[in-house]
Amino acid sequence: MTTKLMAGSEALAYGALQAGVKVVTGYPGTPSTGALTRLLQMNPPGVYVEWSVNEKVAFEVASGAALAGQRALCTMKMSGLNVCYDSLISIAYSGVVGGLVIYVADDPGVSAGMAEQDSRGFAIMADLPMLEPTSADEIYRMTQKAFDLSEKVGSPVFIRLVTANSESFSVVHLSDDPPSCPEREPVLIRDINKFTKAGAAICKAQHRDLIARLESAGQWMVEAGLNPLTLGEKGGLGVVAGGITGAYLAEGFEIAARYGFKAEAASVLLINGVHPFPTAQAQALLRHCGTILVLEELEPYLETGFWVQAQRLGLSPKIVGKLDGPFERIGDYGVRHVVQGLGAALDLPLPPDLLLGQTDAETLAAARPITVCAGCPHRGTFMAINTAIRKAGFAKDDVMVTGDIGCTILGMNPPFNTLWTEVSMGASVGIAAGYVHAGVKTPVIATIGDSTFYHAGIAGLINAVQHQVSLTLIIMDNGWTSMTGMQVNPGSREDCQQRGDYRLDIAKIVPALGVEQFWVVDPFQVDDMAHTLEAALSLPGVKVLLARQECVMPAMRRGDRAGQVTVVDENCNLCKLCLTVTGCQAITLGDEAIEIDSDLCYGCGVCAAACKRKAILVDAAEVIAK
Amino acid sequence: MSSYDIYLVGVGGQGVLTIGEVITAAAFQGGRPVNFFPTKGMAQRGGFVKAQLRIGRESMGPSIPEAGADLVISTEVSETLKAIRFIKPGGEVVLFAYVWKPAAVMVGKAPYPALDAVAEQVEKAQASLTVIVPETLPSFEGVPVPDNIYTLGVAVANTRLGEILDVANVEAFVRTRWKKGVERNLVALNAGLGR
Repeated sequence: MTTKLMAGSEALAYGALQAGVKVVTGYPGTPSTGALTRLLQMNPPGVYVEWSVNEKVAFEVASGAALAGQRALCTMKMSGLNVCYDSLISIAYSGVVGGLVIYVADDPGVSAGMAEQDSRGFAIMADLPMLEPTSADEIYRMTQKAFDLSEKVGSPVFIRLVTANSESFSVVHLSDDPPSCPEREPVLIRDINKFTKAGAAICKAQHRDLIARLESAGQWMVEAGLNPLTLGEKGGLGVVAGGITGAYLAEGFEIAARYGFKAEAASVLLINGVHPFPTAQAQALLRHCGTILVLEELEPYLETGFWVQAQRLGLSPKIVGKLDGPFERIGDYGVRHVVQGLGAALDLPLPPDLLLGQTDAETLAAARPITVCAGCPHRGTFMAINTAIRKAGFAKDDVMVTGDIGCTILGMNPPFNTLWTEVSMGASVGIAAGYVHAGVKTPVIATIGDSTFYHAGIAGLINAVQHQVSLTLIIMDNGWTSMTGMQVNPGSREDCQQRGDYRLDIAKIVPALGVEQFWVVDPFQVDDMAHTLEAALSLPGVKVLLARQECVMPAMRRGDRAGQVTVVDENCNLCKLCLTVTGCQAITLGDEAIEIDSDLCYGCGVCAAACKRKAILVDAAEVIAK
Repeated sequence: MSSYDIYLVGVGGQGVLTIGEVITAAAFQGGRPVNFFPTKGMAQRGGFVKAQLRIGRESMGPSIPEAGADLVISTEVSETLKAIRFIKPGGEVVLFAYVWKPAAVMVGKAPYPALDAVAEQVEKAQASLTVIVPETLPSFEGVPVPDNIYTLGVAVANTRLGEILDVANVEAFVRTRWKKGVERNLVALNAGLGR
């Protein structure tokens, strides 16, 4: 046994390795990214690991491996689960041969952005088992169990984590034993009744099998002791804790004890096997307790289950949760929810300000809107868009510029205020087309990053080309999947591709899709890019600009600089226009002139384009458009 | 074994998460249960960064309750204000008083709180405050030492964190954490510790 500090996502990766996983796929998405990142770093022999082009493809690759009898893991954030659901439902109906575990990370409390959705609802929709371990150590152990469960019942199995445990570091006890599943030869099974969907008879039989698999998964969970029930005083309080909320019980009980709560009198049901609903334990708890407190983040799935079981048993308990309050369906849970819930369930005399801190101080803090890094090529693109709109004779509020997922969305914030929308991976192009069809008379611009283009944007562009929609698409190609921490994508540099993977070139793809009006531009040459864009806006049909410069983070880590920026002190009158336009972190105000932080400055020179007094010089000799 | 909760705040790129990493490793070495929950948010530099570090509980959730942190370590003046909600009455705040002004503040479009205003809020929350003036950062080989590790040293020397962590474990981790620059980080730590 080795003990090691690691994040929950990493523990999941180690658990999968210990279970003998053979194929691992995923698409980056905070807070799920850490599992696959760790596996790529470890590069374990005999295990195939890839960042796939999107979650649907990732899931299909993992499923193929599982259909061939190997153990496979697929990782994604909750938004990615939406993307892969078409294939996922289909595989759920078919079942798998080798163990298939889907790791999905939800983000209650929204620390990474996107919809605060509760993926437990997807497990219900697909009739798939879902496990919710809490600590990193439990994640490590339960991941191994998930593979066993998957093979035992022949079904894909979800592991759902949330930001608080996927990103938290704690101690994991790693096994020193060899992987539990030895090397296997792949199998080829021809069974169209199981692996195709053509025909009502086939689909209905698969539906029956699916429900049967879920039922046996429920039995397995009981036998594996996944949902431990401790009974306290008869007729007293029953506390139900789903997933991560269980980690706060001990502390909450301790605090509530100061106000008359007796922990030894309470019954406790910890739910780590969240789907199928643990009916037997729930009924046992309902028969034993008159009041039930349900602790679960986001949607009241468990709570609803308790109402249903109470009805089936002919009981009318008091159920404290979200439906009748006091809790909201918004945000993450903590100790305060445990204490507050106990207070509501038992009418404890809690002080109204218990576990509430002072919030006035925060309102005095300087606003720190997230923006692009110093040297980020997107800065030049946002400046060029704003300039082109102005020069084409439009006001900013007249021109729709749709945004997309990733760092490219940061143009929504000051100082740029360029982008209007953010929907989902690749949606910028389709949304823009909709604005055009709606009859908007001014130019419509769509923006998208390279990884997002490969992920789902390419389909939107094909659609726009086929239907000859008059819009301008700007693909901001920085060569990396940056917002999630610089993962490799199909367009990343050859020397960064894994295992000799092939690099695709968007500059070759776009013309091949039938785009006739296509320009490759350099976002560091703001005036040139603005000029090209201005011209594009006046043309009919589909126009595409490919704005190319590498993400500054990997470039700076290699020690690269795009150029050298210097300030001509005597020309600077501290008008701050450079700061107002670029918002660059490398610029600060000196006494006589602006100053450039040479550690932060990449030498992109877009500040020089903003300056009207020739106070910023950029030595562009080193600026090389890829 | 008593529990001890630390709330860390700063700006991306300042190394505030590294402070948390060192404390976590030292607590782990000292055989104490620990949970370290960094929130990087977005990967970009210059954004708000926080971390929650909990030591000593056998069973604990990652998040510190409001008014529950024994110690706040902040590496930026304004960001300190976002931690006030979490400091326990009687708790301690260590602030490396660096000012990282957002662009809107520099161009005069947005306000930035004075250090006095921050100190006032700390006092209102009934916590004590240790301020490190960035200009007093000692140098090593002509360059200021890493401010994050210096701040950690100050926190260990001046707050109850010193009773929670074994300094030898902190030092041992600093020795293995960096491939380059171990020396300057050790100088920073020792200077912060005042030895």
